[in-house]
Amino acid sequence: MEWNWAFAFAILPRLLEGAKITIVATFLGFLIAIVIGLAIALGRRSQQAWIARSVGLCADFIRGTPLLVQLYVLFFVLPNIGIVLSPLTAGVIGLGLHNATYIAEVYRAGIESISRGQWEASKACNLSIGQTWRHIIIPQAIPPMVPALANYLIAMFKETPLLSAITVYEIMGEALGAASRTYQYLEPVTMVGGFFLIISLVCAYLARVLEERVRIYQ
Amino acid sequence: MTKPIIRIKNISKSFGAVRVLDGLSIDVMPKERLALIGPSGSGKTTILRILMTLERINDGHIEIDGEQLCHMERAGQLVPADEKHLANARQKIGMVFQHFNLFPHKSVIDNITLAPILTKGVAKPIAEKRAMELLDMVGLADKAKGMPVELSGGQKQRVAIARALALQPKVMLFDEVTSALDPELVEEVLSVLWQLSTETDMTMLLVTHEMGFAHDFAHRVLFFDRGKIVEEGKPGDIFRQPKHERTQAFLKKILAAGHRI
Repeated sequence: MEWNWAFAFAILPRLLEGAKITIVATFLGFLIAIVIGLAIALGRRSQQAWIARSVGLCADFIRGTPLLVQLYVLFFVLPNIGIVLSPLTAGVIGLGLHNATYIAEVYRAGIESISRGQWEASKACNLSIGQTWRHIIIPQAIPPMVPALANYLIAMFKETPLLSAITVYEIMGEALGAASRTYQYLEPVTMVGGFFLIISLVCAYLARVLEERVRIYQ
Repeated sequence: MTKPIIRIKNISKSFGAVRVLDGLSIDVMPKERLALIGPSGSGKTTILRILMTLERINDGHIEIDGEQLCHMERAGQLVPADEKHLANARQKIGMVFQHFNLFPHKSVIDNITLAPILTKGVAKPIAEKRAMELLDMVGLADKAKGMPVELSGGQKQRVAIARALALQPKVMLFDEVTSALDPELVEEVLSVLWQLSTETDMTMLLVTHEMGFAHDFAHRVLFFDRGKIVEEGKPGDIFRQPKHERTQAFLKKILAAGHRI
């Protein structure tokens, strides 16, 4: 087994194309996850028992099934009922929705970490429920969530190779394509691993910087 | 004949199986300063929390300034108040908490201006001017731009008082506002309360263990035990010649613990 530089350079442009898709899928998926995650967290706290219950059930259902199965459903099963999604769209939705159910728990913990006194002081100041959320609870709940959210971003990033199962040509898909044509797996797979390692380390570093920044109090 | 600003009529409150207030009635006159004293768990803090609408009552009625607090009229019937009614009723009442409950992510001045701007639509410059006057009054004008975390407990509590005053309530509730403070910081908070009592004629309800201060501050003292008023009267009478043996025992205990009258 010997490292073939010529082959490595030959497949580099295609891997970089795949890397772009990987990054796009991760960020779009993360965007969906943080928005839907908030909706789930708030839904589960609803005063209306039936809303809290059904949101909780849906979230448990999504969390309890594998992402790969969900991707297959989104891409291969939904067309049966007339919903046809592009591979990337299906992938981003699947990735986002799946992780939203986990991120909802991060929000829950963040929200519950705010003391009852903050809610009571808001009431004594006659703020409405909406104003209390917007001006008092959410601004305080988010900074401590940053490390956990950054972890989910990195985890989602590393989950993107699953999207190759529904023909999204992200970096792993490109690498497997190159490998299957030549039966040379060493270079493409090593390069994919290196790519993920570098990006993960950079993200972790950025998360730490951000964490320092948001720690303006306490 | 002036009417009471607060009429508490036969209210009861239970937490689970524990009855904290039991058929309690109190009238508070405008400008009156009331001290509520008694052993912990006697229900005095619960009364303030009910008046601030932080707790709901199980039974009875409360009127503030002639209007129902926990109930509203619908088709000639009194029904439990909805959020809109409560929000309206809350405008008349301000509260200062034992643990300050400042908003830690807001600067000192923003803590004070937030509610007037959001709930009363006061323009920011006007709200800030008023906040500076209040900070000046509590002796913290130089801390306006600081964050709550940079303040001592006594300073935090003075900001919390300014925050409550900014909404110009008719009734102020002080819930053990010095209990969480180091002993050397108690005086600075009490002196702000004293200043309020001499410079304004706001109606104030004070739950406290500072018997000496209650004596000087209050027009009337209510001694609570197990959810009922055991004894009430002028501070001089309650503190010097308590009639009821439970009041005597409580005051004796408090004095033995080093509090002065």
